[in-house]
Amino acid sequence: MADVSTEQAFTSGDQWVRVSPKLVTARRITLCLTLIPVVAVIVVLALIPGIIPAVAIAVAAVSAVGFVWAWWLIGRRVRSYAYCEREDDLLVSSGILFRRLVIVPYGRMQLVDVTAGPIDRSLGVTTVQLHTAAATTDASIPGLEPEVAAQLRDRLAHRGETRSAGL
Amino acid sequence: MTQRDGTAPQVNSTIGDDLGLGLAVPGSALVDAAGHRKVHPISPLVHAVAVFPAMGGVVIAFGASGGASIAENLSDLPGLQSLSMLSPVLLAIAGVAIFAAVLSLVVALYQYFAWRALSFWFDDDGDFRVQSGVFIRQQRRVQLSRIQAVDVTQPLAARVFSMAALNIEVAGQDDSRVRLKYVTLADAREIRREVLARAAGLDAKTAEAPQDVLTRVSGRQLAISLLLRVSTAGLLILTALIVAVSYLSEGWAGIGLALVTGGVPLIIVIAEFIRFYGFTVAQSPDGLRLRYGLLRTESRTVPPGRVQAIDYVEPLLWRRLGWTRVLVTIAGVGTESSSSNQGQGANTVLIPVAGLGQAKDLVSRVLPALDTSELAWIHAPRRAWKRSPVQWRNLAVGWDESTFAIRRGRVTRHLAALPHARTQSVRWTQGPWERALDLASMHVDTTPGPVTVSGLHLASAQAREIAENQSDAARRGRGTDRSIHWAQP
Repeated sequence: MADVSTEQAFTSGDQWVRVSPKLVTARRITLCLTLIPVVAVIVVLALIPGIIPAVAIAVAAVSAVGFVWAWWLIGRRVRSYAYCEREDDLLVSSGILFRRLVIVPYGRMQLVDVTAGPIDRSLGVTTVQLHTAAATTDASIPGLEPEVAAQLRDRLAHRGETRSAGL
Repeated sequence: MTQRDGTAPQVNSTIGDDLGLGLAVPGSALVDAAGHRKVHPISPLVHAVAVFPAMGGVVIAFGASGGASIAENLSDLPGLQSLSMLSPVLLAIAGVAIFAAVLSLVVALYQYFAWRALSFWFDDDGDFRVQSGVFIRQQRRVQLSRIQAVDVTQPLAARVFSMAALNIEVAGQDDSRVRLKYVTLADAREIRREVLARAAGLDAKTAEAPQDVLTRVSGRQLAISLLLRVSTAGLLILTALIVAVSYLSEGWAGIGLALVTGGVPLIIVIAEFIRFYGFTVAQSPDGLRLRYGLLRTESRTVPPGRVQAIDYVEPLLWRRLGWTRVLVTIAGVGTESSSSNQGQGANTVLIPVAGLGQAKDLVSRVLPALDTSELAWIHAPRRAWKRSPVQWRNLAVGWDESTFAIRRGRVTRHLAALPHARTQSVRWTQGPWERALDLASMHVDTTPGPVTVSGLHLASAQAREIAENQSDAARRGRGTDRSIHWAQP
């Protein structure tokens, strides 16, 4: 089956917005940071006398393969994020291997979170997350430009107010 | 499916009959010098007696060795040397008994002062006030408009004296409930009646709203249903096999394993039997009132407006009997730490076992708009067997203008349903294996609870369409939903 992206498969005609490619950089930096302790372990393994060097080499090889795979995956994953504001609900799609699409009615939003970690901030990417009363909703849109995120948050909050319903 | 229990039986007894052991004590409605009500003077004794069952737990926890060492220490004391003549087991029992006796004396003494300090009354504003505290005095004012529920419970020790504890649940933080321990059962009912009447803004003398008992689960039905659950029955059969093989081969190592496979399900069955024994459902103006428990009676009120979703659970061996268990997701209930409840939170069970017709009758009382009998079902396609070889035949979603429902499970069948208006969000998911088969699942998210509404492994395009439709239906449902103010005409 061809790589039909989730949002195309779902509804045509709606205005889908993809996230900023800067998110790729941010995530790859995070990946490199998590690599530091792994490298440290490999170095220690190689230095300890009595351990067969093959062990250190094997660990290094496995983590190298994992690193390349994760590097490549980040690019694809970030491209898979997209959201679409419709009249009454927000659609968020994500995932490559496990694809998902969440429909959140504006009237059901309990709160909208805008978060950015230190790496995200330095690169100018922000995550907007929607919460409903259901714990399983999990509608987060990572990798938005800060201004876009702020505008989206305000629009969502406004629509949430006008369409709000109880539980 | 059988419709054995098509109608609710007309049982007209009152809920919460006295389960006391006959030691009725005189003295009720005690009043102190200031005209404030007091709990019953026997309360310190009840607290003291309550130490003994707790000590039973301690013995199990620490094993008899702890008790033996206590006894040994005791026997070292001068004048107690003769104790060492007794066997270690007797010594252990004696040690624990002495320890419990001393502890209960201390408890009784403390509770005596607590009893002296405790008083309660209705103040001039009509609010309920409780004054308490041995070392630090505190006075609590319960705004009657904030009262959620007033429950009468009878812990085991209280039952010995036909006493009851009164719990007043107030909307607010964790420790916002008021407990009055202990008053006679008649007094407890009387106080509850008065609090509820005043909370409703009625005259304090108004009689309590009538409760119609809808159904009562018999101990026999409960025991059979628990034994016939798939995991329990399976493990018990396995145990029988292990014992048989061990007997035939005379390889007695299997017995240890049999103790585990047989013992664990039996303990679970017994624990759940004790918990749900005498499960009674009654209709009251503020919702369905549930009451259950063999050693400790619990009572809960299920307000109709707060039920989000329901799940009919039918284990394989119940189906011939036409039985089902009903779980409910109630907003804000059952999400607290479930350490005290084994696995399945007990406060999310609407009824542990009932005939199908009976169960539907109860559901229609908490979710009047919900009707799962006339739904048009869309089944998972045939190719879904490659994804779920066992349950694929029973995978389906269905809906009408008010209800969305899913079916899943083969061995233990689930039928989960919710009104469209209770939809929080809709999800469409597709794993790699589903994608290869052109399948997808759709999920309707609702507040945290035991009910999962997931239509699994449907045809991909169909799942998409259903998710879209459900989003629209949810919006229309919210527009017409009135159940938040369910008490309004």
